[in-house]
Amino acid sequence: MSGAALEVPAKTRPALPGVDVSVVVPVDDPGAEIEDLFRAFSQELARLGRSHEFVFVLDGVGGKPRALLEALKVECGNVKIVSLARRFGESVALSAGFERASGAVILTAPGYLQVDPVEVRRLLGAIEAGADFVTPWRHPRVDSLVNRLQSRLFNWLLRRTMRISFHDVNCIFRAMRRAVLEEITVYGDLYRFLPVLAERQGFRVVEIRVRHLKERGKSGFFGFGAYARRILDILAIMFLTKFTHRPLRFFGTIGLGLFLAGLGISAYATAEKFLGGPPLRERPILLLGVTLMMLGVQIVGFGLVGEIIIFTQARHLREYKVERIE
Amino acid sequence: MPSPDPPRDRPGLSVVVPVFNEEESLAILHGEIVAALEGAGENFEILYVDDGSTDGSGRVLRALGRGDPRVHRIALRRNFGQTAALAAGFDVARGETVVTMDADLQNDPADVPALLARIREGFDLVSGWRRLRRDAFLTRRLPSLLANRVLRRMTGLSIHDSGCTLKAYRASLLRRLPLYAEMHRFLPVLGAIAGARVSEVEVGHRARRFGRSKYGIARAFRVVLDLMTVKMLVQFSTRPLHWFGVFGLPFLPLSAAFFALGLIEKGASLVFGTVVYPAIAVLLLLTSIDLLLLGLLAELAVRAGHRRGASLFGAFQTEVE
Repeated sequence: MSGAALEVPAKTRPALPGVDVSVVVPVDDPGAEIEDLFRAFSQELARLGRSHEFVFVLDGVGGKPRALLEALKVECGNVKIVSLARRFGESVALSAGFERASGAVILTAPGYLQVDPVEVRRLLGAIEAGADFVTPWRHPRVDSLVNRLQSRLFNWLLRRTMRISFHDVNCIFRAMRRAVLEEITVYGDLYRFLPVLAERQGFRVVEIRVRHLKERGKSGFFGFGAYARRILDILAIMFLTKFTHRPLRFFGTIGLGLFLAGLGISAYATAEKFLGGPPLRERPILLLGVTLMMLGVQIVGFGLVGEIIIFTQARHLREYKVERIE
Repeated sequence: MPSPDPPRDRPGLSVVVPVFNEEESLAILHGEIVAALEGAGENFEILYVDDGSTDGSGRVLRALGRGDPRVHRIALRRNFGQTAALAAGFDVARGETVVTMDADLQNDPADVPALLARIREGFDLVSGWRRLRRDAFLTRRLPSLLANRVLRRMTGLSIHDSGCTLKAYRASLLRRLPLYAEMHRFLPVLGAIAGARVSEVEVGHRARRFGRSKYGIARAFRVVLDLMTVKMLVQFSTRPLHWFGVFGLPFLPLSAAFFALGLIEKGASLVFGTVVYPAIAVLLLLTSIDLLLLGLLAELAVRAGHRRGASLFGAFQTEVE
């Protein structure tokens, strides 16, 4: 990272590859506060003496935000605009932005001033101090109580299942070294878990408390589908990080557990019969026992298929990350 | 031989030692390895794989490597586990023979020349056999004994101590073997399937001098699942449908039996008495069908893997002189 960048008038600066900081902003709301964000971040980064660029990803929005961005581009030059053909969601938008970002450090932020822009300084400071990834913690939060509670519950669940220490994976005001993105690919809704994935790869992930200014997303309760998806996300990330290369550990534990439970129940019913109990054909509990056993067998079967799939790919697996060889 | 006159600095032997928090042992271990190998006149390199140690191991290793171009430290970014650490070492190793050993001083480097002699006899993989293990019986030795017995019965390979880290490999074999998850324990089995000549040598085993074992009894359950995996991979990875068939077909006659039981109790009236037996018959039938379908899915996975040019093992052959 070069220190102070030359203050060349923005308009004449050629679009050189390799700025210090790329700010990637997904925009999915026609009412996004693009200009406020742009001015505030520009000012903050200029004050820090970092050369920078903005990559705005229009996630299926056109009209006003696009016109505004075109104007900013003409005015300042250091703006890249990526337009997605339709709305693809934050994860795809971020990946599209990363592809165009040339900075050594990449900063992501939502399309409005969610967090006090002066925190940019602390995020970049942490990177300079050796962190590879900086994840924020909006604390204290200023949005509705319902939002805070459900966010808290989600993060608590994630901390418990993944044994991590982050408090707020839902905020994308993050800073990361380029190397992190070169190694980790995100898809679906997994962008939330970037800090978790980065830590699993052995990167140094640091959490910083940031000042929360406002929240623009939906507030209040979400539909049932949204909660179901969050729970499934946690399940997916747990499975992917812990069991990708050992699927039978996951399926086998569940399957063997169910099988043994079923075996116990069936044995109990059978034993009772011989001790003068009712005949087995009149014991519906036997049905439960057999169901559990069969379910267990099938789940183990799934695990074995998983093992075969991994085994066929074994040559391409690299489970370790080397820091240095000396 | 790729070139008739290999460059002189390329070692014939690479020693790979995974290290996780063993700062007290390292200096002694290093001295022993160097003494054993120099005594045997080997041209060697030592690769210490620092698997995210949090004690002073990194510092000790850097000190050991200072001024000795044969010694390297491969630092991993965090603790990835023993298999991954070994894989990292193998990928860096340049020797034609690779020896692995633990860093906790329980293996004796003085046994290495015996392993190497076996390799020179023409074996491709030589495993150490800790005949007199100096570990707790209930938590370490008994599970290991049982696992090895099961492994021998399942695979027909007569290796007594697959879990012993002290092993020697021909590097050309290592490059062909899959190494992920906890597979390092099963390398002799996988090697044998690939056609390698596998042997074992009795080695010494010493009680721990420093620190504590990083394993415990919780591992035993996982080893059972691993054995199941290896069994399947060994026998059926090229024809998984067979495995699932063997697994699933017995449920068919069983299902028929329950079906008959349900009928018999009402005489020949073709009306089921209670729902329990017919329902069990249906469950068994569904399971059987499911397993067969899973087998087909597995066939698909194997086929897809082949198309990418990844023959599962590829027959391993040592060079013919």
